[in-house]
Amino acid sequence: MKRFGLWLTEWSLSHPRLVVGWMAAISLFFVLGAGLPSIAPRLVPWLPGVKVDTDPENMLARSEGVRVFHNRMKEAYGLHDMVVVGVVNEAHPDGVFNVDSLGRVYELVEFARTLRWTDAATGVVEGVVEVDLLAPSTVDNIEPGGPGVVRFEWLMPRPPATAEEARAIRRKAKRLPFLDGTLVSEDGQALCIYLPLTSKHLSYRVYSALREQTARFDGEDRFLITGLPVAEDTFGVEMFRQMSVSAPLAMLVIFLLLLAFFRKLALILSPLVVALVSVIWTMGLLVMTGNTIHIMSSMIPIFLMPIAVLDAVHILSMFFDRYQQTRDRVQTVRSVMGSLFMAMLYTSLTTVAGFASLALTPIPPVQVFGLFSAFGIMVAWALTVTFIPAFVTLIPEEKLADFGTHHVATESGGPLAILLRRLSGFTYHRAWSIVVAMVLVSAVAVHGITRIRINDNPTRWFSSSHPIRVADRVLNEHFGGTYMAYLAFEAGEGTDATQDLGDEFAARLLSRRDELAGEEGAPAGLAEVFDRLSAEARAVTGPDPLNGLRDRAEGLLDAAPDDRLDAWDEALLFVEQELQRREVFKDPDVLRYLIRLQETLAASDVVGKSNSLADVVRTVHRELFEGQEEYLRIPDSAAAVAQCLITYQSSHRPHDLWHFVRTDYRGTVLWLQLRSGDNRDMDEVVRLVDAFIRENPPPVPLTHRWFGLTYINVVWQQKMVQGMLSALLGSFLVVFLMMTVLFRSAIWGFLCMLPLSLTIVVTYGAVGLVGKDYDMPVAVLSSLSLGLAVDFAIHFLEHSRALREKHGNWEMAVGAVFGEPARAIWRNIVVIAVGFLPLLFASLVPYKTVGMLMATILVVAGMTTLLILPALMRLLERQLFPEGRAACFTCNCVTCAVSAAAAVALVVISVYRFLNLGWTSLTAYSIAAVILLVGLCRWSSRRQTRKQEIPR
Amino acid sequence: MRLTHPLIPMALRFSLAGAAAGLFACAVRAQSPSAEEIVARANRAAYYQGSDGRATVRMAITDAGGQVRERQMTILRRDDVPPGNSGDEHCGEQKFYVYFHRPADVGKMAFMVWKHLDRDDDRWLYLPALDLVKRIAASDERTSFVGSDFFYEDVSGRRPQEDEHELVETTETAYVLRNTPKDPTLVEFSHYTTWVDRKTSLPVKAEYYDRGGKIYRVYEALETSMIQDHPTVTRAKMSNLGTGGSTITEYSDVAYDVGLPEDIFSERYLRRAPRQYLRSR
Repeated sequence: MKRFGLWLTEWSLSHPRLVVGWMAAISLFFVLGAGLPSIAPRLVPWLPGVKVDTDPENMLARSEGVRVFHNRMKEAYGLHDMVVVGVVNEAHPDGVFNVDSLGRVYELVEFARTLRWTDAATGVVEGVVEVDLLAPSTVDNIEPGGPGVVRFEWLMPRPPATAEEARAIRRKAKRLPFLDGTLVSEDGQALCIYLPLTSKHLSYRVYSALREQTARFDGEDRFLITGLPVAEDTFGVEMFRQMSVSAPLAMLVIFLLLLAFFRKLALILSPLVVALVSVIWTMGLLVMTGNTIHIMSSMIPIFLMPIAVLDAVHILSMFFDRYQQTRDRVQTVRSVMGSLFMAMLYTSLTTVAGFASLALTPIPPVQVFGLFSAFGIMVAWALTVTFIPAFVTLIPEEKLADFGTHHVATESGGPLAILLRRLSGFTYHRAWSIVVAMVLVSAVAVHGITRIRINDNPTRWFSSSHPIRVADRVLNEHFGGTYMAYLAFEAGEGTDATQDLGDEFAARLLSRRDELAGEEGAPAGLAEVFDRLSAEARAVTGPDPLNGLRDRAEGLLDAAPDDRLDAWDEALLFVEQELQRREVFKDPDVLRYLIRLQETLAASDVVGKSNSLADVVRTVHRELFEGQEEYLRIPDSAAAVAQCLITYQSSHRPHDLWHFVRTDYRGTVLWLQLRSGDNRDMDEVVRLVDAFIRENPPPVPLTHRWFGLTYINVVWQQKMVQGMLSALLGSFLVVFLMMTVLFRSAIWGFLCMLPLSLTIVVTYGAVGLVGKDYDMPVAVLSSLSLGLAVDFAIHFLEHSRALREKHGNWEMAVGAVFGEPARAIWRNIVVIAVGFLPLLFASLVPYKTVGMLMATILVVAGMTTLLILPALMRLLERQLFPEGRAACFTCNCVTCAVSAAAAVALVVISVYRFLNLGWTSLTAYSIAAVILLVGLCRWSSRRQTRKQEIPR
Repeated sequence: MRLTHPLIPMALRFSLAGAAAGLFACAVRAQSPSAEEIVARANRAAYYQGSDGRATVRMAITDAGGQVRERQMTILRRDDVPPGNSGDEHCGEQKFYVYFHRPADVGKMAFMVWKHLDRDDDRWLYLPALDLVKRIAASDERTSFVGSDFFYEDVSGRRPQEDEHELVETTETAYVLRNTPKDPTLVEFSHYTTWVDRKTSLPVKAEYYDRGGKIYRVYEALETSMIQDHPTVTRAKMSNLGTGGSTITEYSDVAYDVGLPEDIFSERYLRRAPRQYLRSR
């Protein structure tokens, strides 16, 4: 491998123009391939072009169960994602319920109605769904309109003319359970308008239009726009804006730092070219293969740049240190590449392993992100070993004349050199203290990890001063909550109509007969007809006896003499009502059960408000009985429920009912308004509902399932956390195996893993201790930290081993290790950590997180590498540098067994997800056989190794 | 020429009602009709055929998702013909009685309208399971009739004098009228266009425009037949373009001049249905 590397370097040195030419040509190919479809789509109709997708819902595959269900339910209940517009007035004593404010609200709603556009391509009209708009001027007020009159009227048919009219609107809305806390705030000071959209992808467009409109209003009202769809869509838009600022800015800072270190413009261009070209190739390939640029894949450049620069900085650093010794650029490059080739190959491979393992997560955008990042890293590696030597050859020797001179002069006296020299002494003399400190820090960090809170909330992706965050905060203070979650109930097994016509049926039949007989003007022959029906019921057979009985009764009605017709009408009506018993969500017991569940939820802090079919029924019931509070309850029969519902449907918006219940009354939806969009709060509600249902079995079999964006976010987060964890574990094992192979020893492998393990433990421990939520960017960065930390360790250990061999013992070697190699690591830490600090000034929180964590990871990885590795070298010198060496590293029993176990674990972790595996007796036999074979191997090879050791 | 019609068929909101103007318009027979005359004839054709009538109505309410719900009811209509006035000429006060058969859980529900010429109509709804007779507020006339896409007002008709009428076109088969409300604050539409069949005088189509100027509600008469010499709409559709839903009503067993007594159109009979008059057999 190393020979191949040297050949590659030689070839590049002798064909520099060819290398640069090819690189430029391929870059041009990718630029055109990705860009042409956007510029001239007709020229290249077969290319997919740039497609942007900012929808976090796509974190889950389209076929993912929860998404399929979400979309099916949205369709079934005609639900839309909503933009929430809150109107708050803290200056007026009546809040927004004054003439002026309501006038503006009216005007805003009239404006919102017009937010509809025709899609040029499909001709479909999209935008605000006018008929489902929830606003004072578009919803009905139900109230008793005097004795014996129930009335439906628009809550605010026109802007109020007097203060009294304005207050009346508040009073009416507060009376209606489904408006109080939803349309009008609990404190009566604010109101909310809900704008359902045909597609949530229009959220940002609607949001922008509304903000423009509300900016024109004067007065003291605050118009606050929020809702998950707005947060998600706006984030997408701002993300790209942020990306186009942050990535070049990071590049610029890296450039300036390199300039400060190496002071040779011509030379430091090369790492930047490597970074830029690997980003171009990767993103070009991403676009050309038809992948969308998603929240995740948009981060590829930000991740790729530090990694791409990393190797180049190692080369430059060493080149810088060595050039003045020969003053021959080709010679220097040759020697630098000779020293670094294997280390660079392995660091790249380990980083690739870290990212490629993301392909095993169950989240498609993360898979794409992992695979393309891995591709980019390999591109960066290939360019580093070909382009940089070629580039150096192309620089005229005279231009390099003074390169590193400044450095030679100050080599022993420069602040960096002094610092590192002191550090080397410290690690040698205070090795034990360092190890103890490491153990203590790890203990604290592990404690921090146990306190990690897994949580995410798209609204919190904005900084706390962002209008969306402000709106979120203010509105959730006033209202039951602006985050919608939906709980769907379905009639379970055994609730279908094919009931047997047994004793219960017979009893109901008799009771209906007696009830009718007691009425004034009871039909003639009632007893005779009902007895006949009862007899028919006993006789009827078949899979669906009730429908059979209905057909039979219809026949008997047609054949009945005139004086029995009325009685047969009653009999048939009875049978049809029996058939309707399958409509379980008209069952008063079921509706009361829903109310109990709602009451339990309302008692929690998270659920601010819930609306259900039961609320509709009991409110209408109250209004039918002149608005008396004691009638705010579910009536006692299914028919009474049905008649309340048909009354409700006599409004201006009869279709509203179908947002709560399916037309067959075998499915219903509970609307929950949550005060927070935090995943852990949604999670808490899910647990609450499960516990309630476990402790209170429903009166008829029901199944329940969640949907809504808030819930979808929880599902993908769970998948992500789990996926990331197993990906991390898998790549950890891969890296360990690679290190064991590279260093031909398990103990070296362990040593190599130490900085990265500590980095992960300390970084995530800090996340836990600081109280920062473990969210998407935090999770993704674990793979990056793996790649970066192991890089430092490999370089450090490679040099340590070579120098130890040269000097004979560690005491002599440590000074040299803290020369060139440590300086390269140091420069890398500074370049990358500082290079990403501009991200801290981003307005979007995930970018701040990335910047912050990136710096932390770099510093921690660097510190552990420069402190702990030398300390352990000192302490474990004898074990690490044994006198005699086994012929082959598989002949070291510990290394052999450990790497075999790691390999097995790796296979298990990777395969486990796809196969349903478990422990069987075969597993036990296999393990026994393996142990036996290990023993045999050890016994037979023992003598062999001895024999070989003796001559040395 | 005997102008006649079915009963209420949830047809258009073209009722006469009202004052002398209406009564007068009702009697006009002109060769080249004015807009007012066309409206008056259409009103009569849609709501005043015979002196009374009965029909079985099946209503199929289809929502945007394609789910269909059915309602089945019997509708009775009786005109208050003043003594000395022949039934043919009359287009004054009327009474309607709607009795629900299915779905079974709203069975025996009953709805009654007393249509007046000089004031708001009276409407009652009887809910048997709650043993409750509710008056329906006059302001609710443009709300949904039992969850369908028809309005309460469509059952008994909109008073012609509530709108300004303008004949905008005369096609081969129909007069096209533009109707603009006199008091726009009472209704949700800005105006509506109606097509009145030139032969039968039945309104066969109407399109309602919202304040933004786009059509959001459409009525169509799908089938018309001659029943006892009266042209009668037997199948009609109301579509709500906003919700994407529509309702089709089918009239069967239509009969005119069946001799309905006045007393069954009373609150007492809401609670106790006049069974013999509800039956077509």
